[in-house]
Amino acid sequence: MTDEVALSLEHVAVGYGRRIVLPDVNLSLPRGSFTGLLGANGSGKSTILKTVLGIIPPLGGRIVLNPVGGGPPVFGYMPQRESLDPIYPLSSFEVVLMGVCGRVKPGSRISRMEKEGAHQCLRETGADQLSRKLFSELSGGQKQRVLLARALATKPDLLLLDEPTAGIDALATKAIMELLGKIYVTQRQTIVMVSHDLTTVRENAKAVIWLHEGKVLHGAVSELLTLDKIQELLDLELR
Amino acid sequence: MDTLRTILDPHFLLRNSVYVSLLVGLVCPSVGVYLVLRRLIFMGVALPQISSCGIAFTFALQGWGLLAHLHQSEHSLAFFGSTLFTIPTIVLLSLLVRRGRGSVESRLGTVYVLAGAWSILLLVTNPSGEHGLLDMLKGEIIAIPDVDLEWTAAIFCGVIVLLFLFRKEFLVVSFDREMAVTLKKNVLFWDALLFLLIGVTISMAVLSVGPLVAFGFLLIPSLIAHLFARNMRQFALFASVIGGLTAFCGFCIAYRWDFPVGPTDVALLGMVYGLAFLGQKAVGLLRSRRGPAQAVAGAQT
Repeated sequence: MTDEVALSLEHVAVGYGRRIVLPDVNLSLPRGSFTGLLGANGSGKSTILKTVLGIIPPLGGRIVLNPVGGGPPVFGYMPQRESLDPIYPLSSFEVVLMGVCGRVKPGSRISRMEKEGAHQCLRETGADQLSRKLFSELSGGQKQRVLLARALATKPDLLLLDEPTAGIDALATKAIMELLGKIYVTQRQTIVMVSHDLTTVRENAKAVIWLHEGKVLHGAVSELLTLDKIQELLDLELR
Repeated sequence: MDTLRTILDPHFLLRNSVYVSLLVGLVCPSVGVYLVLRRLIFMGVALPQISSCGIAFTFALQGWGLLAHLHQSEHSLAFFGSTLFTIPTIVLLSLLVRRGRGSVESRLGTVYVLAGAWSILLLVTNPSGEHGLLDMLKGEIIAIPDVDLEWTAAIFCGVIVLLFLFRKEFLVVSFDREMAVTLKKNVLFWDALLFLLIGVTISMAVLSVGPLVAFGFLLIPSLIAHLFARNMRQFALFASVIGGLTAFCGFCIAYRWDFPVGPTDVALLGMVYGLAFLGQKAVGLLRSRRGPAQAVAGAQT
């Protein structure tokens, strides 16, 4: 991990329309960090993520994305899989291929090299044998692998994952987290992972952002996710 | 066989009608796949009706003397009126669908009945009478001048070329809007272009074959293709081929037994859909029976 900042939020207010969910978010993420974004339902985890991605406009403040190689950073985004409509008869390979669309000009064909790159991403996530299968017919864990491959196909500078282990069994969760760990170590990716699973974040992330009643707590996992601290925060949330 | 030979004869009197039927059969499903995928099927019912209302409105303006009578430009005028009504409606309805407020079905139902009622009112109050206009709204595919055929072909070719060129963009903004934003795609622009193509296709199809047939070809071939497609390319291709083949066969049947072409096409599409649905269920049943049998055989060996 380097000290260079990949992303910083300065007095950012996030929310939908006129409804502010988090009024004043201040944090910065170093390049090459693996951060877990924790919080109760409705605390604003996904809202922060979507604001950083530009899907929702910030209601105030400033988001600074440090350029990479002279250009703006590329996001690799993995949405919650339930948000994708199963009516689309897309093969898994077609889903992954969407990841390269940011680099291909409108009206241009996707080159053979880009297609091979998409296959490589499927191989990296252990989903190569799924490439011809319909995405809608895959299991939860398989879908997550394909969506992770799509996020990697963007050749991201920042990997932003919205609940990658939600609704999948323990075995699939372990496999996905091992995969993320491998990507983190081998590619030195900056990863932000939204989760409501304390154990998953504690075991895999290096830093944590905990959203609690409109406040943002940010620190190392070893500091913020000690048993005493967790107990204190959970008591506060239950109250 | 004789019917087929007659229809394929280059000097066949109704050859323009065959070409227009084929064009509608091939192009409407290519647009219809997006209506099905975006779950805007009800919009596919309401829009052809709105398009008809636009045609009736333009001719009413002509009848009331507010627009000049020019026989040669009648088709273009009708197309203009149809598009003028269709595109704003599609944009408005899609915005309402996306915001998800209120009941979408009730709005589409209201649009459908109002457009139908106004089409009739505009026709009966048109001082020029109903002659000719009613045929146009019913989808009379019999007498199509060369100029109209050329216009239809040119516009449909343009639609197909744009749909093919920008298929990646249309697919990404339709399937995963959020992902499209993160890829720096101009989502509003691609949505607007897609709706423009849908609107233009519906206007042209309604003008050529009427609202019933236009809706039939927008919806049913896509639903048939959806039963079998294993990827997006197959989906679009199957839908278009099914539409084109059915349009041609429908024309042959209508010509042979002297049926109206449009309703024959739609009835044939319905039959193909029914057969395809039953076929798919039968294949599924066979596979599910073969599965345990193979497992038992595997265990014995």
